[in-house]
Amino acid sequence: MSQLLKSPKSSWLTSPTTRALGALVIVFVIGLIFNADGAFLKWGTHRDMLRAVSVYGLLACGMTLVIITGGIDLSVGSILGISAVSFSLFCIHFSWPFYIAIIVCLLIGLACGAASGLIISRFNIQPFIATLAMMVFARGLAKWISGGQKISTAVQQADGTYEYVPEPAVFNFINSKILWDNISVVTVIFLVCLLITAILLAKLRLGRYLYAIGGNEEAARLSGVPVNAIKVLAYAMSGLFCAVAGICQASQELQGDPEAGFTYELSAIAMVVIGGTTLRGGRGGIGLTLLGVLIIGYLEKILSINAVGEDKRLMLTGAIIVGAVLLQKTKK
Amino acid sequence: MRDLAKQLVMLVLVAALCLTGCGKKEDTSSTAKWTIGMSQCNLGEPWRVQMNADVRNAADQHDDIKVIFKDAQNDTLKQRSQMEEFISAGVDLIIVSPKEAVPLTPVVAQAYQKGIPVIVLDRRVLGEKYTCFIGADNKKIGKAAGQWIVEKLGGKGTVIELKGLMTSTPGQDRHTGFREGIKGANLEIIFEADMKWLEPNARKEMESALARFETIDLVYAHNDPGAHGAYLAAKAAGREKEIMFVGIDALSQEGRAYVAQGVLAASFEYPTGGKKAIEAALEILNGQTVEKEIVLDSRVFTEENINDGGELLGQ
Repeated sequence: MSQLLKSPKSSWLTSPTTRALGALVIVFVIGLIFNADGAFLKWGTHRDMLRAVSVYGLLACGMTLVIITGGIDLSVGSILGISAVSFSLFCIHFSWPFYIAIIVCLLIGLACGAASGLIISRFNIQPFIATLAMMVFARGLAKWISGGQKISTAVQQADGTYEYVPEPAVFNFINSKILWDNISVVTVIFLVCLLITAILLAKLRLGRYLYAIGGNEEAARLSGVPVNAIKVLAYAMSGLFCAVAGICQASQELQGDPEAGFTYELSAIAMVVIGGTTLRGGRGGIGLTLLGVLIIGYLEKILSINAVGEDKRLMLTGAIIVGAVLLQKTKK
Repeated sequence: MRDLAKQLVMLVLVAALCLTGCGKKEDTSSTAKWTIGMSQCNLGEPWRVQMNADVRNAADQHDDIKVIFKDAQNDTLKQRSQMEEFISAGVDLIIVSPKEAVPLTPVVAQAYQKGIPVIVLDRRVLGEKYTCFIGADNKKIGKAAGQWIVEKLGGKGTVIELKGLMTSTPGQDRHTGFREGIKGANLEIIFEADMKWLEPNARKEMESALARFETIDLVYAHNDPGAHGAYLAAKAAGREKEIMFVGIDALSQEGRAYVAQGVLAASFEYPTGGKKAIEAALEILNGQTVEKEIVLDSRVFTEENINDGGELLGQ
């Protein structure tokens, strides 16, 4: 990871990657111990865990970009909601070809993200505020286009009766598993987006600009980084990933729920931070986010297969988040 | 410090903007004789969207009433102030589906004492200071579901219970009612989890159950989205044919659609009471007296009866 190169003083033992990996190993060992009659030892359990975290992971990809610039994006869950509703509307009600539906959804996500980015950079408004506004606005938009109801394969006719249409093939494909049922398509989509983010951060000039802005915005500006444009791009990319997540969510639920993605922003932020990317910006990486995604994913899975009650689940999750972040804290 | 203050001011501004956007739906063009205020606690749930739609559809049949809808967005205090707005606007009748009993009891009583009839829909308020309560009985529905399941499985089998929020009364009642209904039968609840009414959560929990148990006969979920999420998990594992799925609510575009599509074995109706509320409202406005407590009938929808409008549950 880039941290290794950035801080030559710290040994590999104290690098964020090692620490996040350590936390993941601990969670994994807990799973091996509390394996719920061997359920944890089956590949299917891991495959299902990866499916369940993929949507969150997609949000976390965009969130990582934004957090590296020193910002935050609270609107990811709501943009996911709009995307899920629009995708279902386009595919089920309008019967659009899947590629047009996908492209339009991606554009909607991109536009929502870019709007947040523009408000932040043009009017110099705190990312927290601007994306909070987008969070509320986008949720409203999702409810408005769906009429507050889930867009499902039960299509209401003019006379109030329902006609049941078959679910679109693209839904079934995204909801399926490939490689002899060994990996979910949504997981593959997540991994592809993760790879794109990794290349963007590590190989492209854009990636270096994102770190530069997060490290010291004024210095970046003075050294010729087009700060405003890059910021807009970061939020637009986040919106784009949210749209992908929305498409995956709708396909998995076989419907577009206007409430989809509610409070998902908190999970996405938690995944990024537990991985070791700091909220102050300028440091971190997508590899860390992957570790954060896996830590939370495994944690939830272990609690779930052991049928731990909701009350204890929340307390344990809170405690483990603190534990993982403490593990990340650098010793002076 | 100044930055923080600036942020706070912005936050308040944004919040204020968001809040003022809602609750302005006054329609002054009609020549209705009576105005009814309808205070809904949360339009974020499809079931409550359906309740409003039922109220609206029933009200549309009558020219002499018009309904003003307000949505409290799951906020008790907002609902209280919306009730106060209705009182000061002097509406002729209020229908309220309260979010919580205790904090909304005083404002309901205030309206009632000012002579505005109040119909309390679905969830209760405390005391006697309201005109009439209309609602269904979750415990009864849960019990009926339990008895239906026992009969369907021939008195024995392995069952998974996917619970709604167990801190909410519907979740608690649908749970205790169900346990009452299966009492004495040889049913084994092998797995139970709280899916918080949400379909993606239900799917996750069901995946865990599928990983653990080789034979699962039936899934009882506290709502239809939960049962549907469980079905999707089983379908992904190729095991949807060997498991039956039972849900509650039976909204026409959700539970009933799932039954018609062969996804759910049964869905138990939790009626919204929207139509009944308008009927009662008209009786009250016309000077008749209505019963203080109206318990709504519930129906069960199965593959056999879905096209005949379901079957009324025994009393």
